[in-house]
Amino acid sequence: MSLAPLLQSDPAPTGGHPAAPGRRTAGRTVRALSAVTLLALVGFALAGPVLLADPAQQDLSRFLEPPTLAEPLGRDDFGRSVLARLAHATRLSLVLAALSVATALLLGTLTGLLAGWRGGWVDAVLRGISEAFVALPALLIVLLFAALAAGGSLWTLYVGLALAQWVEYFRVVRARSARVLATPAVEASRLLRLGPLHVVRRHLLPELRGTLATLASLGMVTAILAMSTLGFVKVGLQPPRTELGLMVTEAFPHYDTAPWMALAPVAVLFLLTVALLGLRRTEVTR
Amino acid sequence: MTTLTIDEVTVHHGATRLVDAVDLRLEAGVPLTVVGESGSGKSLLAHALMGTLPGELRVAGRMALGGTPYDLATRPGRGLWGSRLAMLPQEPSLALDPTMRVRPQVAEGASVRRPGSRAARRAADRALDGLGLADAAHAWPHQLSGGMAQRVAYAAATVGGVDVLIVDEPSKGLDEAAVDRIADLLTAHLARGGLLLTITHDLRLARRLGGELLVMQGARVVDRGPGRTLLDEPTHDYTRALVAAEPTRWKHEWMATTRDPGASPEPLVSASGVTKGYGATTLFRDLSLEIGTGERWALVGPSGVGKTTLGNALLGLAPVDHGEVRHHPALAPGRAQKLYQDPVLSFPRRVALGSALGDVLRRHGVDRKRPERLMESVGLAPDLLARRPDQLSGGELQRLAVVRAMLLRPALVFADEPTSRLDLLSQERTMDCLMTEVDASGCALVLVTHDHGLAAAVTDRQVTLGAQRGP
Repeated sequence: MSLAPLLQSDPAPTGGHPAAPGRRTAGRTVRALSAVTLLALVGFALAGPVLLADPAQQDLSRFLEPPTLAEPLGRDDFGRSVLARLAHATRLSLVLAALSVATALLLGTLTGLLAGWRGGWVDAVLRGISEAFVALPALLIVLLFAALAAGGSLWTLYVGLALAQWVEYFRVVRARSARVLATPAVEASRLLRLGPLHVVRRHLLPELRGTLATLASLGMVTAILAMSTLGFVKVGLQPPRTELGLMVTEAFPHYDTAPWMALAPVAVLFLLTVALLGLRRTEVTR
Repeated sequence: MTTLTIDEVTVHHGATRLVDAVDLRLEAGVPLTVVGESGSGKSLLAHALMGTLPGELRVAGRMALGGTPYDLATRPGRGLWGSRLAMLPQEPSLALDPTMRVRPQVAEGASVRRPGSRAARRAADRALDGLGLADAAHAWPHQLSGGMAQRVAYAAATVGGVDVLIVDEPSKGLDEAAVDRIADLLTAHLARGGLLLTITHDLRLARRLGGELLVMQGARVVDRGPGRTLLDEPTHDYTRALVAAEPTRWKHEWMATTRDPGASPEPLVSASGVTKGYGATTLFRDLSLEIGTGERWALVGPSGVGKTTLGNALLGLAPVDHGEVRHHPALAPGRAQKLYQDPVLSFPRRVALGSALGDVLRRHGVDRKRPERLMESVGLAPDLLARRPDQLSGGELQRLAVVRAMLLRPALVFADEPTSRLDLLSQERTMDCLMTEVDASGCALVLVTHDHGLAAAVTDRQVTLGAQRGP
């Protein structure tokens, strides 16, 4: 039962639904830990490529060197520094994922608002397009794009990832905004001639913000994993570029003699995923 | 003979006392009605009896039902649900399960072993038949009108054959005819030897039920006695204020204003031959109406006859099927404003009220002093603007909606049941504030209501809808 109607006599209503305090602090701890992990990874991805050695520099005499203090993750089969390669790969994954998520978010939100606002044939056309995308598995769309341009260019990967993801934002924004636009509050603001900017700023964005943030953090995970999946099956980016999935594949032949090579990118993928998922607010604020 | 007595009930939330030492005694055949404004603790009292208060609230007190004592702190009500004790909740259309048809929903309350059994279904059918709802047995809750939902909820609450019926705000959102029907049912429950506790802010219903009356204010019982004496010759100050807040007894300055009917040569809004319907039902047909400057109109009629739709059509918010609605140039966009039945829904939900109001000021270049002056005149503290809509009471928020509507100096205000969710005192305050502004600015008013008393007190012209339609 909701407390709100019963507590009308409360002189200073607090609003919102009080969650159990224990659960709330637990949620806060998880989010703080996730944020710290994510910040550490981002720091590594930003500082690593600047501070560490050139990841492409080969030294065949130091082939499959085990980890040492100077080289904490050892060297790979070409004698390249695994740590330096890892930093580059992490940066690539984060930047590409962030770019494609931002593009998908922008595209999906704008089309969603357009469909929710205009309705009619605009809505029908946009919905048709979005359903075509829903019908295809996301990875297939990225694969199609990767196959269109040979040589595994970053550009096609970016477009493919963004196209695979915009549909989610479109559908959520369209459904939510259609509901918000039909409320008396929006009708009242029309009667007050407050203009469409007010409706977006005061009615739609506050309502959508939380959901979009959650979707975006999930989208980052999906994009990073999709990228490394493609790298793993060797249709994504091509060597010598460093990419997390590609690094795992390349390390496979040496898993018995140099397990650190495969474990390092896997650990980064795992931490990225957990940290991004942990950032979400678990209780959905209505 | 069964009686229910309650001694020294208190309800606390932290250090705040929400219900303070209430004693009451229910006897078979004698209704007990608790009246008071919102926030006086009367609903909490009902929930304390039922054992349905949230865990954060601390309850203390003793209850005795037919000689058996119970400690209210242990929430004993739960064990008695359905067999001895039942509650008819507020807003039954929200209390019914939207995913269940009417008959199985009523059958769940039957005092048989399995709710799905034939005996339960038969009991449900009998209960529904008795209420004239046999046709609705297979309907979904969303297909019912407010009054029908109320009667279905009554059937579900009483099908188990309870002695004690607790009714929480049964008249909320219902028109007079529906309130009369539910009052008949409650009287019938008493006639069968049942016990009845009604929580309401509707004095008309309290008068109809008769019996004992309890007046609550600020968590305490301030007045008690036989209903008729209390309401007809109130002696306590608060009771007197409560009775004086009934629209039929209002005395305000703006009511005296005489309006010259032929003041304006051209009407603000003229509707000619307007027809509107949804699907197969026609709401109104061939209706013509002219609203002049400063006129006060009421659209009255039972729920669901299209009063709001007509108002929206007059404002140009809803298209009409046939006919024409013309606006005078004086009624330029922005000069027609609307007040909503649920003010919470008429403000952006997640934004501080100050920002929402600030947008209006900026957009239309209104002087900052004006809202401050208006808020002061309707008795709202400026610091309320830092809150979000759900953090204000309905009355406060509706008064703020009046302020917002008046900022643009409208020529016409359409008030869509602005006070139907408010108690009598808040209703009087809100209407007083609206009408003072309307009177001062000389704007026209279209008021939708199903309260004839309110319509008579506030307006001088009426359109009655739905006279030709059945229930």
